[in-house]
Amino acid sequence: MTVEVEVGERTRTVILERLAPGRFRVTLDGRPCEVDVIRTAEFGLSLLLDGASGRSREMLVAPGGERGVVFVNLEGRTIAVGINRGRSRRSVDGAPGAGEQVIVAPMPGRVVRLLVRPGDQVAARQGVVVVEAMKMENELRTARPGTVKEIAVAPGASVEAGRVLVVVA
Amino acid sequence: MKILIANRGEIAVRVIRACREMGIPTVAVFSDCDRGARHVSEADQAIHVGPSEATRSYLDIGALLEAARRSEATAVHPGYGFLAENAAFASACLEAGLMYIGPAPEAIALMGSKTAARQAARRAGVPVVPGTDEPFGPDVSEREIAAAAEEVGYPLLVKAVAGGGGKGLRVVSHRGDLPSAIQLARSEAGAAFGDSQIYLERRILQPRHVEIQLLGDARGTVVPFVERECSIQRRHQKVVEESPSPVVTPALRRRMAEAAASVARLVGYTNAGTIEFLLDRDGAFYFLEMNTRLQVEHPVTEMVTSIDLVQWQIRISRGEALDVDPERALTPHGHAIECRIYAEDPDQGFLPSPGLIRALRPAGGPGIRDDSGVAAGYTVPVHYDSLIAKLVAWASARDEAVARMARALREYHVLGIRTTIPFFLWLLRQPAFLEARFDTNYLDALLAERQGATFSELEPGEEDLVAIGAALDAWLRAGGAGDNGRRAVERVSAWHRLARRESLRE
Repeated sequence: MTVEVEVGERTRTVILERLAPGRFRVTLDGRPCEVDVIRTAEFGLSLLLDGASGRSREMLVAPGGERGVVFVNLEGRTIAVGINRGRSRRSVDGAPGAGEQVIVAPMPGRVVRLLVRPGDQVAARQGVVVVEAMKMENELRTARPGTVKEIAVAPGASVEAGRVLVVVA
Repeated sequence: MKILIANRGEIAVRVIRACREMGIPTVAVFSDCDRGARHVSEADQAIHVGPSEATRSYLDIGALLEAARRSEATAVHPGYGFLAENAAFASACLEAGLMYIGPAPEAIALMGSKTAARQAARRAGVPVVPGTDEPFGPDVSEREIAAAAEEVGYPLLVKAVAGGGGKGLRVVSHRGDLPSAIQLARSEAGAAFGDSQIYLERRILQPRHVEIQLLGDARGTVVPFVERECSIQRRHQKVVEESPSPVVTPALRRRMAEAAASVARLVGYTNAGTIEFLLDRDGAFYFLEMNTRLQVEHPVTEMVTSIDLVQWQIRISRGEALDVDPERALTPHGHAIECRIYAEDPDQGFLPSPGLIRALRPAGGPGIRDDSGVAAGYTVPVHYDSLIAKLVAWASARDEAVARMARALREYHVLGIRTTIPFFLWLLRQPAFLEARFDTNYLDALLAERQGATFSELEPGEEDLVAIGAALDAWLRAGGAGDNGRRAVERVSAWHRLARRESLRE
């Protein structure tokens, strides 16, 4: 079985060949190694790597919010990893170029205040809307300068995560 | 005695633990979204008090008193936050014939008003940070406040009279920013505390936040404890606390402890409380405020003194004499550090990260204490504070406690929601932190420098490991044919197998 895995900036090709129950030959970008794997809980994996040396590492892998994404927890850090998503699905959100910025609610909450009006010029990292969640007011900011094109919510509105709040062109 | 805990989350669990150790039955309260919360299942009884909105459940005095009546509780522990510093709630408990595990309502009202507390500190001969002593109500104009600001001097802080935890607090460096700061502080304070009164305070440059825990009993005995260092703050919210402070000498400790005790004695304070001070570069300290409740960070004090503060709260309320050895309370044994694990995503500007906890494995082992309010399968609600657990490390010296904390943070697995664990792993490597060279502005300045860089960076070798693990996980999930025998935990539960066997028998 061949699995395409997106970690960080790169897409890696992982070929798995089962040698025995729980034992695999894993070929990562052309380099083979032997791995012993066992599930330690619903999401836990214990890996013994490098053959005889038995280098032991553990991690948690759980489904992410969207299809083809899993969250991997390794020593206190959680990383989103793409599985078999193909190169076409690469995210472009981080691109620093021009284009429309859609400011969405990053978590469920309540819109407290709007800090801009349609047509306003905004600078990079300027606050445009304040959303309250978990008792804290969170100011959401632009990434780049632009002009406010649309205000999609009213103060006081309850919003779900992902709801479009402000569009900056 | 039966204690109703008018709170939720980790602090409710903490109080239940103290009660269990003392053989006292407990009653938990819960809102709609907290039915599955840990404090509910760990208490002896649990009573539903209302919808998820805090104002209609954990802040609803009538509903809480009704729960106490129905459960035949005889005492109420308020925890921290919610109604913990609400004099009306304390009074209502007493009027309903319940014991209130905390100070007298009069002390809460007096010290809860930051401006009245400053006046009390002055009367006790303790220096206070320069600022306005009269609160500004909602009807006071921005122009009037601006005039007072000129006398206080910039930079200054706009603070909620009823404030706490950084809520309703704004820093103003330039005159022009004052109006928006007043507006934000008023609205945040109104929403969080139901009181939008504010006051102004001069900003002490490069201060450390050092506080003195104390206990007082009904006979007038006041015992101050070794200080806590709480200078590691993000946007005025404490994130790491330790005891003792790396910069407080035994002589300074005695002076601060005596100052704190004299304020408490002056107001006839009983039960647990904390006096917060700012300590400037030259070792001068100023009264900041008093918290008339148990603090979030009380465990570090417990770890270095081996004195259980929650049990003492209960004993004092029962009228017992405070017979804690003052020398033991003031002499730290070893060093303790606490990291507040919040359901926040440090890689996205610490935005709240509520949701389902799919997997959780807390840290353990020597010198580790995990005060947690959550479990796997619980959905962290959007309605409340995002603190899910406090991880405390104790060791004989500070550097050992830091190393132990880093070890424990690596052990601590939380999956499903984002937490501040990766941020702490980064912070614990910073040279200034390791050398204890910091003030209350340190963390915000350090975070600003990073310009939002991720804390969850993988090293090159780790990327390989993650790729291999994720691929193997996909294989196992896609069927994992023939490998069931190698699974330590099978998907088919023992109950299913039993049911299957039973049906075959028929």
